[in-house]
Amino acid sequence: MKPYRIKAVIRRHAYEVRRNANHITYMVYWPLVNIAVWGFFTLYLRHGDRLQPGVVNCLLGAVILWGLFNAFQRDMAVGFLEELWSRNLVGLFASPLTVSEYVTGLIIVTLAKAIVSLAVGSLVAWLFYHYDIFPVLLTLFPFILNLVLFALTIGVAVTGLIFRYTTKFQAMAWSFAGLLMPPSCVFYPLSSLPRSLRPIAAILPTTHSFEGMRKAIETGGFSTSHFKSGLELNLIYFILAIFFFRWMFESAKSRGLLVKME
Amino acid sequence: MPAAVSKQRAAKWIVPGAPLAYGVAMLVTVERLTKTYRNFTAVNDVSFVVQAGEIAGLVGPNGAGKTTIIHMMLGLISPNAGSIRLFGRSLDKDCEHILQRLNFTTPYMAFPARLTVLENLRVFAQIYNVREPIAKITELLERFGIAHLRKKPVSRLSSGETTRVGLCKAFLNNPELLLLDEPTAYLDPQAALQVRNVLVDLQRTCGTTILYTSHNMFEVQRICNRIIFLDRGSIMAAGTPIEVTRKVLQEDRDAPALDEVFIRIAERHSNEAVSN
Repeated sequence: MKPYRIKAVIRRHAYEVRRNANHITYMVYWPLVNIAVWGFFTLYLRHGDRLQPGVVNCLLGAVILWGLFNAFQRDMAVGFLEELWSRNLVGLFASPLTVSEYVTGLIIVTLAKAIVSLAVGSLVAWLFYHYDIFPVLLTLFPFILNLVLFALTIGVAVTGLIFRYTTKFQAMAWSFAGLLMPPSCVFYPLSSLPRSLRPIAAILPTTHSFEGMRKAIETGGFSTSHFKSGLELNLIYFILAIFFFRWMFESAKSRGLLVKME
Repeated sequence: MPAAVSKQRAAKWIVPGAPLAYGVAMLVTVERLTKTYRNFTAVNDVSFVVQAGEIAGLVGPNGAGKTTIIHMMLGLISPNAGSIRLFGRSLDKDCEHILQRLNFTTPYMAFPARLTVLENLRVFAQIYNVREPIAKITELLERFGIAHLRKKPVSRLSSGETTRVGLCKAFLNNPELLLLDEPTAYLDPQAALQVRNVLVDLQRTCGTTILYTSHNMFEVQRICNRIIFLDRGSIMAAGTPIEVTRKVLQEDRDAPALDEVFIRIAERHSNEAVSN
């Protein structure tokens, strides 16, 4: 991998962010809307003493972290879709740029955008709802890492699908995270899920991240078991996603789809 | 091509084991290349070579397989059978190295529309690791007469202007081999002439090898040293323009007439379609 080619991918997407207002919408607008809605809801819960403050904090923390997960996997797939929409794939992949360099550049850009989203969400929660995520951020960091790794895995798999099936699958870029939301126990503990869904929830790294996050916010302790389980699952899924991506890419090349993507 | 430049270029790309023909190493060696899509054969057992410093034309009617061959040479489409060697190296094994030394332009390619001409070319200059990219881009934009468009978003360019941006991209890395797929398709006659002059000049001064596809037979006849005439995925004739003319028309002509060759082949297709 050549660093200057990875920098070229970053440069290409940085120009796009500067020139395309949609990116500002993704990075700032949606985190603001999410925090505003959930913030008012937690104010309502606090006002009537309906729930303990710990639960309210968990809700806001979950909104911020789910926003990060959703933004990461969406932005990665959308970043690739932008090449497809602009018919730039031929230019890129008929150059010395390798697929791994391209994906690495895209990951760095997506990470930067996700950090902006996270900062915006956290800042608004702090300013308007007096919810300060920053003191627990260090404890949450391993769970955030697991969330980002799983979002990356899904981003890679969805990008592979788009390579092979082109824009027929582009809706996956926005909707795939939604499919994972109910069993990931974002806003409720694993024990509240129906028994039949629990085995599915247990094999999702997101579930372990949110369970770990709740424990950290409520007790201030760190759940090693949730972190470890999440990380192990992530490694398995990431390796599978890489193989899947390679398979889809080679299949697209063999069918001549790289030059006819619409 | 000046002898010194030719020698310098040849020394750069000749590697041990590179196939030789008449004592000259081939820059492009395509052997028994085949590409099929289910029941349709786009390229059928095609073999050809291109020597260093040559301008070779890959011509034929629509659906002849020209663009598919170019895309296979760029590693964008995997062939079902056959092999491609460029600069004496296998495209399968040394794709990255090979693509660093060549460049291309094709109507299938576009640029991110919101980015300006300069921004798009800077991205590609970085991919090709061009030293002093701004100076190089400025030189190319001036050469192709679009220096005034450098700050314009690509979305606001005409198709002819976009074609010229594609040509600027193709020259960014001083390629040793240029693959040009219908490079003058959207250009007006004056701009097309300017591009042809740049290509011929480049070939003379730098010894750049060019593989060129076009439907404009006048253009092909004018700039190509050698023609590979394709029809329905197979090579129908290959040689100098006059050799191809004589072979296909089966007449002893004194001057090349590739337009007639093209029309003769198209007529054959029409007659076959009527009889079927």
